[in-house]
Amino acid sequence: MASVRSPSAVLGNFRATSYRLAAWRQRCCYHSYEYSQPPPFPPAESAILSAAIAHVPGYGFTTDALRLGARDAGYMDVSTNLLPRGVFDLVNYHLVTQRLALKNSVQFAAAEEQGKRLGTGAKVRALTLARLRANGPILHRWHEALAIMAQPSYAPASLAELARLADEIWYLAGDESVDSSWYTKRASLSAIYSASEVFMTQDMSKDFVETAQFLDSRLGDVMKIGGFVGALTAWADYTAHSTVNVLRSKGIRI
Amino acid sequence: MSAQSARALFRRQLLAGGKRRVGTVERGQYRCFSCAVRQAQQQQTPPKPAQNGDGTTHFGFETVAEALKEQKVRGVFSSVASSYDTMNDLMSLGIHRLWKDHFVRNLNPGRNPLTSGPSEQKGWNILDIAGGTGDIAFRMLDHASTINNDAHTKVTVADINPDMLAEGRKRALETPYARSPRLNFIEANAEKLDMIPDNSIDLYTVAFGIRNFTHKEEAIREAYRVLKPGGVFAVLEFSKVTNGLFDAVYKRWSFSAIPLIGQLVAGDRDSYQYLVESIERFPSQTEFRDMIKDAGLLVPGQGWEDLTGGIAAIHKGVKPA
Repeated sequence: MASVRSPSAVLGNFRATSYRLAAWRQRCCYHSYEYSQPPPFPPAESAILSAAIAHVPGYGFTTDALRLGARDAGYMDVSTNLLPRGVFDLVNYHLVTQRLALKNSVQFAAAEEQGKRLGTGAKVRALTLARLRANGPILHRWHEALAIMAQPSYAPASLAELARLADEIWYLAGDESVDSSWYTKRASLSAIYSASEVFMTQDMSKDFVETAQFLDSRLGDVMKIGGFVGALTAWADYTAHSTVNVLRSKGIRI
Repeated sequence: MSAQSARALFRRQLLAGGKRRVGTVERGQYRCFSCAVRQAQQQQTPPKPAQNGDGTTHFGFETVAEALKEQKVRGVFSSVASSYDTMNDLMSLGIHRLWKDHFVRNLNPGRNPLTSGPSEQKGWNILDIAGGTGDIAFRMLDHASTINNDAHTKVTVADINPDMLAEGRKRALETPYARSPRLNFIEANAEKLDMIPDNSIDLYTVAFGIRNFTHKEEAIREAYRVLKPGGVFAVLEFSKVTNGLFDAVYKRWSFSAIPLIGQLVAGDRDSYQYLVESIERFPSQTEFRDMIKDAGLLVPGQGWEDLTGGIAAIHKGVKPA
């Protein structure tokens, strides 16, 4: 009887352990990158938007590009109603797909095998530049996208996407900070990225050399400010402690 | 003279309303705001009481035989057809025009000849269900002609009620589309659109009509059948107010003011009492979204857009290509 029951009992035990393990894993060390992410857009939307992006160089970020994309994808003009935010959905599609493409387009492993050790700063620069260059093919239309993103109803979604991009770049650069610099790093990178993006729309130089220079000097500014703030904090800390100690030596009970 | 006769008419209507009201008290169906709300709550507690079951459905807060609902709805709209527009303006304080404009502008009907090849089909084929007075149809045609420079988009207005269609035909005479092939009127039941072939419609719209249908699921299935792959099913309908405080104000307005306005202006309290009750009984945004999904249509984004805090909502569905 016992021998008959034992397999199921063992199985039950195993199941219980695996559930517990899974629960433990979820509680203690859930990392989103260990799980496959769902595709960012449903299939029909994705088909229309990816076809519409191909029309952006010719028609810009407009409903015309969306309608032509819908026709290419086997849908009709009216099917663009599937995109509740219209042209902003087209802009958003570009932002999301280019953000998600970063992890495949920039590979550090190859460079590191050749013996070059890249610092986090250099990786951030490379990633930011790669993302900026991804706007290259549609740069002559990018001011339209900036105008759409700046509309009050779309601004919150655009800013959230900017924050996600900054987070992605720091993550891919291997940043593991868990202190308040987590926030300042992302905030400063967001500011630098958006400034560089606007600069790039006016960049006439070959292969966007001037944008790269602009990005380098902004990153340099942040380093300088960061170093200055660090030094200032150390000085303030030292001065405050000294003052307290001097007062104590005078007999004041602090 | 006319002022005098109008006053006389007004007095007569008021009296008629008063008489009717006395009559209803005797029948024990007196409805003040508080009773109506209580009745609404009582009737909402059982989940979907006998909606599809043993041949009964709801007509406002009443439960009637399914066969009767169509007749009763017909009666309501026949009696309100002539004063339909004035009443809409008074009841919604004119806001229904903004909703309809937004609805049409958002759908952006019409095919711009500049971006379409010469061999392709010209214009959209729009079916406006329950659009008797042509409110949506004229807006669609105006938008297509003036915004998208499209002189080929055509609208078929279908309504179950010949009185509403007559009103629409009358109003069409004041538009440039009256004798053009771009606009035609048909009398049809949205649950059985036999005269319309499969896969023939680009855009199917119902504005403030679907809540009067006896079988909403069947109407949506029929819409799925007539739509081309990629075609859009769009509904503008009253919905549920999301903010509790605003909802209280809105309920007070709809249950006490609207039947009163109906009595004073159109001389017909019962029809407008039905109107507000049918709004109350219509499914919420999420329920209706799920009904559209269940019919096999793809819903864009969250599936609906609230207008004026959820008093009305636009639902859309796209037939997969």
